Parts: sequence; C-alpha cells; structure tokens
Amino acid sequence: MTPQPIEILFDDDRTQFSPGEELAGQFLVVPGDARSLRAVELSVLWTTEGKGDEDIGVHHFERLDAQDGENDLRRLIAFRTRLPNSPLSYQGAIVKIVWCVRVRAFPLRGDDFFSEERFQLGNVPAAEQPATS
Amino acid sequence: MNIGFGAEFTGSQLAGTFENSVHSVSKFLRLYEKKRGDRRTGSSKLGSVGEAFFFSVFLLLGLAALAVMLVTIVWPELRANRHYLKARCTVIGATISEKDDDEGGVTYRPDVTIQLIVAGKSYQTTTYDAARLYTSGRQKALTAIEQFQAGKEYDCWYDPTDPRRAVLVRGYSGWTYLLLLVPLSFIAIGGGGLVYTLWHWGTSAERRSALAQRAANMDLLNEPATNGHDFPQVPSDNDWKSSPGTRLSYRLPITTAPGWQLFAAFFACFCWIGITAVFVVIAVRSHVRGEPEWFLTVFIIPFVIVGLVLVYALVRQLLITTGVGPTRMEISRHPLHPGESCDLYLSQAGRLTMNSLEVLLACDENATYRQGTDTRTEQRRVLEQSVYRRDGFEIDPAVPLEHQWSILIPAAAMHSFRSTHNEVKWKLLVKGDVVGWPNFEREYPLIVFPADHCEVEA
Repeated sequence: MTPQPIEILFDDDRTQFSPGEELAGQFLVVPGDARSLRAVELSVLWTTEGKGDEDIGVHHFERLDAQDGENDLRRLIAFRTRLPNSPLSYQGAIVKIVWCVRVRAFPLRGDDFFSEERFQLGNVPAAEQPATS
Repeated sequence: MNIGFGAEFTGSQLAGTFENSVHSVSKFLRLYEKKRGDRRTGSSKLGSVGEAFFFSVFLLLGLAALAVMLVTIVWPELRANRHYLKARCTVIGATISEKDDDEGGVTYRPDVTIQLIVAGKSYQTTTYDAARLYTSGRQKALTAIEQFQAGKEYDCWYDPTDPRRAVLVRGYSGWTYLLLLVPLSFIAIGGGGLVYTLWHWGTSAERRSALAQRAANMDLLNEPATNGHDFPQVPSDNDWKSSPGTRLSYRLPITTAPGWQLFAAFFACFCWIGITAVFVVIAVRSHVRGEPEWFLTVFIIPFVIVGLVLVYALVRQLLITTGVGPTRMEISRHPLHPGESCDLYLSQAGRLTMNSLEVLLACDENATYRQGTDTRTEQRRVLEQSVYRRDGFEIDPAVPLEHQWSILIPAAAMHSFRSTHNEVKWKLLVKGDVVGWPNFEREYPLIVFPADHCEVEA
C-alpha cells in the first residue's frame, strides 16, 4: 500500500521551543480519496525511546470528525498550544525523551495512518555516553 | 571518574531526528512490531486479541457457573417459596442418600418419599427441600429425616404446574448464596476486562493516553498528575519539605534505612534457611540410617550455598547497622536547578576508623522493560562527581564527623524525570571504607527541576 501523505508545518519553520512557549502550526491530510476520511487526530506529545518500554504523555489532543461530510478534513487545519514546563527533550544514554506533533488519519475504509514532526523542548545537551556503567 | 553532560546536537542528528515520515498502521495481526534496541516489542493487536480471549473465557466460565446455580438453587427455591401451593402429604419412608465428592469424601442428602393427592389424583415423589443439595454433614441429614415418621401426615408445598415437584421444607439456603460471589466475580473481571479491551480496540495510543491523563487528573484519591507543582513528570518533593534539618533547611530522606535493610536480610535468611533446613535434616537422617538419598543430597547443595550467602549478607548488614552510626545529610535550598549551587551538611556518627569517606553526586538513567515474562530494569550512570572526600581518619562516638560545604548542580544537567518505565534519577551517595569492617553505601535522592532560564534561540 502506498503511504498517504500528511504534511505538518510549524509556524516560522521552528523546531526548537522553550518551556511555556506557544507552539503553533498547521497540518494537511491529503488521502487519495478525500471523501473517505472519517476523522483526524492531532496530538502534541512526548514519548520515550531507548532501552525501556515506551512511555507516552499527551500534552494536547484534538479529534476532528467528518460528521457526515459536513466537516471537510481536506483543508489546512491550524493548531496552537502552550507547551508545558517539562519534561524537556533529552538524549540520554538509555533514556531519550522526544517531543513531536503527531497527526493520525482515519479513513472510512482501510488502515489508519499517521505522521509526526519532531521538535525540541528546552536545550538540555545530550548525555555523554560513558564507556561502562 | 567524572562523567557528565555536555555532548551537543549535531546538524545531522537534528535532521535525522526531525525527519517527517508517514506510517501506515496495518489492520492485520503482526506477531512483532517496532524494533527497539536489540529487542522487538510484541504486537499490540495480538495482545488485544489475547486479552479479549482471556477475558472472554473468564466471562463464559462465570456465566456458565451462574446459570447452573440459578437453575439448580435460586430458581427452584424462589418458586417453592413464592408459587408452590400448600397441601397435606403422607410420608412413606425416609433415607439418607450418599454421594462421593471430588475430594474423595462423602456427602449426604435427606430423601423423604411422600404421597400427596391433588385434584383427586395421587402423586408420589422423593423430596425434602427445593435445592436438593448434598452436604458434608451426615448428622444434619439424619436430623432432617428424623422429623418425619412413615405413615404420618405433614404439611408440604407442591408446584401447581407439576405436583410431582413438592417440598417438605421451604426457605432459602442462606450461606449457599455466598457462592454466587464466585461466578459474579468471574463475570465482573471477564466482562469488565472485555469491555475495556473492546473499548480500546481501534483507539489510538494518543487518545488512550489523553483519556487516561484526564481520568488521573479527575481522580481525587490519587496524587494529581502535576505532583503538586507545575512540572509534569518531575517527581514530587513534598517529602523533603516536611522534614526540616538542624543545620540547614531540609534533611534529605535516605532511600532505604539500614534498619529496613537488616530486617529484609533477616527475613530472607530466616525463610530460606528454614525451608532448606527441613530437606537438610531429611538428607542427613538418610545418611545416618545408612540409606543415603543421594539425589536429595546433591539437589540441596546449591540451596545450602545460597543459604550461606544469605547468612554472610545478614552478618554483613548486621555489622553495618550496629557498627556504623547514622549518616545525616541536609541541604540548604529547594528546589534545585541546573547551574545553581546549594549547601550540604554531612554528619557521620559511630566508632569508626575510616580509610575514606566520600560523597558522590550522581545521575542515573533507569529503563524498565519486559522481556518475555520477566520485567527487567537497566541502570546507566550518566553523571558521577565526587563532591567531598576525606581519607584516613577516626570518628569518635562522642564527636561525629561533621562537614558543611557547597556543591554546584551542572548547568548542562537533565532534570529529574519519572514515567512508568523510564526515569532520570539524581542522588547523593555516601560511601564509607572502614578499617576492619564492611564498607557501606547510603543513598539520598535529589529532585532537580528544569533550569529557570532555558530559553532556546528561535
């Protein structure tokens, strides 16, 4: 199956933000058959990566339903949220914290699909990788 | 060795990190999904199918058991008490029926044969009560049939739709109804789990997380998600603020008090040796009798070795607890932020000749993951700084070692972080190397908040 495109754009093309700052942008879902979109979900979230099982924290969540065709989801949809004070983005040795905007689209038929655009919250440098623990 | 933060993001790292890609989520079941490190996580959909199957089995077992109890006990007793009609009957005979139960015992039931006449027609049936249950007490059944003598007339109640169904005693089985809790609990677990699984089927991870977060914020019994401050995922520091120090503002709580460590060591030692000793005695007796049980003897050797290790650990902990006096750490300020300094106060009591006493500032990453049925936690130290060290000195019981000094939290440090499976944990470690005594290490957790000023360049 050919992946279906989702475009996520941050205002001013920024990818770095400070805690408490406002994150704003737009997204556009363009499936092959636009009428088949049932809903889209927008999430501003952090996830962990690394050795441990993945944890996820959703800071901002919106779901838009097509509502019997009255709400056309093919348009450019804006989003805006004030970012929290923590957790800050972090590249640790075995624990990494990644912030992203994720858009998930639900077609009327077939598989749901999503795309995400990562950004950095705060400016914590990556941890040095020690040779041994 | 000092290790720490400081590596910078490179342009290529950022480019790779912020790459946009579209992911398709298959509706078909996959045994494995995302590869993480050198492990693969299981398929969430396969997991959901497994959960649904598990809860369905629970639900069906509960429903089946409930149906059996309703048909055999509840419904007959309900009808007998509410709908049966009163009549007179003649007792023909009474016996005690016996039945073997599943555990090899015998259960008993009173059986009274009666004859009653309804609408000019004679009916003969064997009965007592509506439930017709077998119970373990023979005396109870005997007492029941002794109330009835052959040839005499007694009150009875019969089913107007079928007079062959009649009872001599009405009422409810009382405690038997507590058994209904068993199938009802199966139904509650199975039904609840199944509804939960189906409710989440096809719901995105983000939506589930958002709903769970909203529920947690509404739950008054739980600690709010903000941990009493405005820094999500940073652990609460309320424990510190409620414990004032004598020299500085706050006394730092110890991770595990030596007394509890001693109790844990004693409990583990007591249980292990208690169980192992039984088998050791059996083995030794077999050798004394001249009929040695070699398999048992060889089998228990590793258990005896583990027991000896536990005894060593217990003795060591006992020496540390009784010989090394309490260690007290106090801190001047809270909350802590990267790039800021604070004062520390250390007090070490006891009668000790020390090779060295060292205080380390450390930051560990803890990652918990499931591997098969095991849950494992891996720890990686990403920062370790010696902030105080003293070599070759003695501590007198009347004059504990006291030292006060300042430390600096590194400016490039990550803040404390805790989620379900991942953690960034700051701590102070007090390590003592004692002459002729076991070395000791005591841990005092710190909470480091994000820096006050961590704006990034736009």
